[in-house]
Amino acid sequence: MLKIENLHVTVEGKEILKGLTLEIPAGEVHAVMGPNGSGKSTLAHVLSGRPGYEVTGGSVTFQGRDLLSLAPEERAREGVFLGFQYPVEIPGVNNVYLLKAAVNAARKHRGLPEVDAFEFLTMVREKMRLMRMDESMLSRGVNEGFSGGEKKRNEILQMLVLEPRLAVLDETDSGLDIDALKVVAHGVNTLRAADRSLVLVTHYQRLLDYIIPDRVHVLVQGRIVRSGDKTLALELERRGYDWLTGEAA
Amino acid sequence: MSTALLARVKDEYGSVRDTLPPSVVATERRRSALEMLCAQGLPATREENWRYTNLRVLERVRFAPTLTPTGAKPELPAPLEGFSRYVFVDGVLCSSHSIAAEAGISVRSLRAGAAEVRLESPPIPALPETRLALLNEAFATDAAAIRVQSLAGMQRVELVFIASTAAEMGASYPRVQVTLEPGTRLALVERHLSTGDAANLVNCAVHVDLAEGSRLTHYRLQQTGLRTAWFDTLEATLAKDARYEILAVSTGGLTARSTVHVRLAGSGAEVALSAAALGDRLQSQDTFALTEHLAPRTRTEQTFRGIASARARVAFNGKVVVRETARGTDSRQSLRDLLAGPEAEIDVRPQLEIHTDEVRCAHGATAGMLDETMLFYLLSRGLSPEVAQRLLKWAFLEDVVSRIELPDLRRRIEVEIAGQMSEAASLKELLG
Ligand SMILES: Nc1ncnc2c1ncn2[C@@H]1O[C@H](COP(=O)(O)OP(=O)(O)O)[C@@H](O)[C@H]1O
Ligand SMILES: [Mg+2]
Repeated sequence: MLKIENLHVTVEGKEILKGLTLEIPAGEVHAVMGPNGSGKSTLAHVLSGRPGYEVTGGSVTFQGRDLLSLAPEERAREGVFLGFQYPVEIPGVNNVYLLKAAVNAARKHRGLPEVDAFEFLTMVREKMRLMRMDESMLSRGVNEGFSGGEKKRNEILQMLVLEPRLAVLDETDSGLDIDALKVVAHGVNTLRAADRSLVLVTHYQRLLDYIIPDRVHVLVQGRIVRSGDKTLALELERRGYDWLTGEAA
Repeated sequence: MSTALLARVKDEYGSVRDTLPPSVVATERRRSALEMLCAQGLPATREENWRYTNLRVLERVRFAPTLTPTGAKPELPAPLEGFSRYVFVDGVLCSSHSIAAEAGISVRSLRAGAAEVRLESPPIPALPETRLALLNEAFATDAAAIRVQSLAGMQRVELVFIASTAAEMGASYPRVQVTLEPGTRLALVERHLSTGDAANLVNCAVHVDLAEGSRLTHYRLQQTGLRTAWFDTLEATLAKDARYEILAVSTGGLTARSTVHVRLAGSGAEVALSAAALGDRLQSQDTFALTEHLAPRTRTEQTFRGIASARARVAFNGKVVVRETARGTDSRQSLRDLLAGPEAEIDVRPQLEIHTDEVRCAHGATAGMLDETMLFYLLSRGLSPEVAQRLLKWAFLEDVVSRIELPDLRRRIEVEIAGQMSEAASLKELLG
């Protein structure tokens, strides 16, 4: 599904990713963990095509195509979804307009007709119930006045509605209380499928109690320094990252 | 330059003087207005509060009004439910398109002469910023005079002013006098449109007089053609506890300048001006809004959202003057401008002049570009850059548009604003 090879990324003249290699087969859930500032969000952003992240080396292949040559909106329409660590508030742009526009953009890209407005709303409402979101949030501005937890739930709602091939969730767990974490994890788990890959970027192991990953990778100073199964996350929880930081040098 | 132009104004006045109806503006008054204008000179961009107006267009227009409106039936927007409509073509009431109002309110065309109507003439505008209204005084060919007397509920009137294609290089002078008697309420929609895209001058003068406890909600939509030079002077006086809400949306014209002067003369009077202006191509959109607080416990709220795209220029100058007599004044300004083109120009300026203590004045003014973080968020959801930008511009105007309480009108304004943003089809889709 996704193959990242020897990726080098520079932000404002500073090299952040220094030869990152990672492969995520279809149907798998991988966790990328690492200390603050190690480059996790940089990886997430560069996969979604955010301007300002300069790729100076390496390659990213998504379903056999060169992902880096696609514009951000093309990546989204091809099925790449980024769940933001800090979802932005966009007052005045209605939540449901955005959802519908996003779905229709992807459908148009695939040569499908627009969604039926009624069916669409029914589907969205059902997913909102799953995310325990109040329906009134639909008619509000995107993330406008949402609490931290509500913003994260809204990200997951968008993901559920868009049904991406590859979802990269950047610290979706941060700022969530335990109940919200369970709701979010449940939402994510419903999306696990043989033709879909998920990347969970996280700082803590907690989320992985509820979404069991197939693989865990540790990112330190711009490189994957260790990979393992879910027990690696538990080890990190016990020992912290310090014992691995030496391996990055 | 200005002297030559003034000489031409006088000449043109001389040539049409005898055809101008004294029932609209008395001949003596026309003459003195013209004299005042000559004494003051035409506005010039070197003047502080005219800096952003494109005044050069005045050199190209003819000032004498177009006296014979065509028989051609103008295409009109669908009527608003519950509103009586009056259509003025090139400044003159076109009775065949007008739907009369009910009892409790009188709406008259002064051109018809109605000798029995003794309307008190509004004062002649006297500020340097309001002096283009003097041109209207001199040349006006008709006036809509609205007086609300009935206390029974809200009255609803729509005025449509159309600059017709017949008026290529010609001028029209829309003129409105609104009087609300104590405790009455009126929703007034005032629209300015063009048929075709003739180059012409539209110079409006609007007088509003709100008696004690009356309330006026005034929607003003300027959507004239892209070769129209649109000038406008609105003067309002509010008595005790009167409330005046203005919602202005300006998208049309090659150059548009609106001057709004509100006098809060009675204690507890309130004005809320919400204005949105969109400039595209070579348009210039300029607003000067002045509130004078003359009485205690008066309130001003100014909200402005402007977007300048391509090579357009959008400016808003909001001035609040608090006189010695206006203790307990509360004034708020939220002025924001968005620069959406590399060659566009924007300017927002709050000005405060306070002559007493015990006032609360809060103002915020920002000018900036589209937020990159928001833009990327929308792209990351698959929206094209064009749609994403349009959506953000749209959202920017929402602070003003959301105040339009009539759903029908609001909807239409939304669609029209969407239409103004070029290639709006996909935005309309989103709204649909
Ligand atoms: N826009 C930016 N400008 C400059 N430095 C940045 C920018 N974004 C991230 N960085 C730097 O890149 C490094 C990695 O950041 P980030 O990818 O956000 O780490 P993580 O998500 O793992 O905490 C940090 O040192 C951070 O300061
Ligand atoms: Mg991060």
